[in-house]
Amino acid sequence: MESDTIIQTENLSVYYGTHRGIRNLDLSVRKGEVFGFLGPNGAGKTTTLRVLLDIIHPTKGNASMFGLDCQKNGAAIRKRVSYLPGELHLYPSMRADYFFDLFASLQDGRPDPAFLAELLERLDLDPSGRIKEYSHGNKQKIGIITAFMGKPDLLILDEPTIALDPLVRQTVLDLVREVKNEGRTVFFSSHNLQEVQSICDRVGIIQEGELIRTEKTETLINRQLKRITIAFRQTPPRGAFAIEGVKETGRDKNTISFEIRSNLELLMEQAASHGITDIETKTVSLEEIFLALYSRGIPGDSEGDTNV
Amino acid sequence: MFKLIVHEVRSRRAAIAGWGIGLVLFGSIYISLAPELFEQLKSMTNLSVYKLVGLHLESVEGYIASVVLAYISFLLGIYSIISSTATMAGEEDNGTLELLAALPLERWKILTSKAAALCLVVFFILLIAGTGNTAALALMNRNYPVNIKPLSFFTSLIGSLPLLTGFIMMGIFLGSFMPNRRIAATVMSVYFTASYFGEHLSYISGSLETVRYLCLFNYYDTTETIFAEGIRFSDTAVLLAVTAAFYVSALYFFRRRDITVGTWPWKKGKIL
Repeated sequence: MESDTIIQTENLSVYYGTHRGIRNLDLSVRKGEVFGFLGPNGAGKTTTLRVLLDIIHPTKGNASMFGLDCQKNGAAIRKRVSYLPGELHLYPSMRADYFFDLFASLQDGRPDPAFLAELLERLDLDPSGRIKEYSHGNKQKIGIITAFMGKPDLLILDEPTIALDPLVRQTVLDLVREVKNEGRTVFFSSHNLQEVQSICDRVGIIQEGELIRTEKTETLINRQLKRITIAFRQTPPRGAFAIEGVKETGRDKNTISFEIRSNLELLMEQAASHGITDIETKTVSLEEIFLALYSRGIPGDSEGDTNV
Repeated sequence: MFKLIVHEVRSRRAAIAGWGIGLVLFGSIYISLAPELFEQLKSMTNLSVYKLVGLHLESVEGYIASVVLAYISFLLGIYSIISSTATMAGEEDNGTLELLAALPLERWKILTSKAAALCLVVFFILLIAGTGNTAALALMNRNYPVNIKPLSFFTSLIGSLPLLTGFIMMGIFLGSFMPNRRIAATVMSVYFTASYFGEHLSYISGSLETVRYLCLFNYYDTTETIFAEGIRFSDTAVLLAVTAAFYVSALYFFRRRDITVGTWPWKKGKIL
């Protein structure tokens, strides 16, 4: 019986000469989930994807997919995987329909023509032209269709919505949701945190080659950063809430806004002593969490299941 | 793998037609002018410059061999080095190799498909060039009979295939071994030029005799004897051995290569 873990890396490191690619990466992606892989440019996202696909070799550590070693069973693994590179380079003089046909045959299977037609229609792409004649966005659509058309068990998408207009972007996110609903798995590397927040079950955050956090998207949002505005009967003096993990972000008459990372209970105790008349909590976006994590130069503030 | 070979050949249809027709025109012109040119040139047989470029002016048959066979193999050699360095290193530089490497294909299948396709392409070009030039020779024979049988001429021309596969595989090896196409193409071009002129120079200067054996052009006879005696088995064996050696080396380094990284295959990362 196949394991519930689709992707597993252990102590995975890649160095380019002495330049760090990724360092001691322990990652696990489960069957049927959409896993968001977040990080700034140069953090090691694409390097990780390339090691998984055996495009580059690790300096140290192991990577496996579907329980098979990525270095030893690359071709067998890739039969079940589709990959959309972050920097998509196609054959300029090839017709798009020929490209689909060629890649379908090289993927060891022909796509369901009805599904291919559906993808073309949903992404509004006419495949009769030569690739060099297409706009940047339409070339990206070709890459997306190629990744989705074979209905693989695992989709590895590196910045899939880059260069797409908002409508098409939404269609792509819908396609990802449909993949998940069919019980298939998506590894979704992106800069677009709103997208990640809207479709990913879990996220992994990578910084300078190290995985600094892996957590359920919802948990990460709920746990990490809270914004609370408290209205008091009387304005507390400045410095009244000098609590670790609590930052006063604004005052307006009797109202004080806080950004809280820890010690919520202590804040509420102290606030109660000044007489609370109203409390308002605000949802924090993944983007704000991401920026907060990076601005503090983690690793460190971990309560997350980093090594899940 | 077969699909990839078909695709690679198909994507070079224009090259097959263009080079094939071009070499027919090139060869036909020289063949049709051979009697006249030979008469004019044979009085200057002692000029070393002709030896330097490999011209044999002892007979019209020698002249045809040293111009048509030698130049067609030289020109197709140029095509071979351009295409072979482009086929691995060029695709890596262009970014399309990453797409192929992410497909369920073993690396040896990618390399073998591309190498086989390129050899087929050169073979098809040779077929077109051989057919056209043999027809031109047959036409010339009507007015100016020469001692070359059409079939012998055709097989002599097709016989340059092992030389060309040697260059192709050397280019594919360099593309798999060198960090990028630019370096691979530079090294290949230097060797190709040195091989061509080195072989001819070695017949002028005795001190260069050993150099001859390092030149692939040495193993393709472009004198009139090829029409009488055919392709030498020993030469073909050397060229096929070179082709096989570069193929195996290319496979070894391509399997080790970190695609998209653009570095030497033996240069591994160091953990700090």
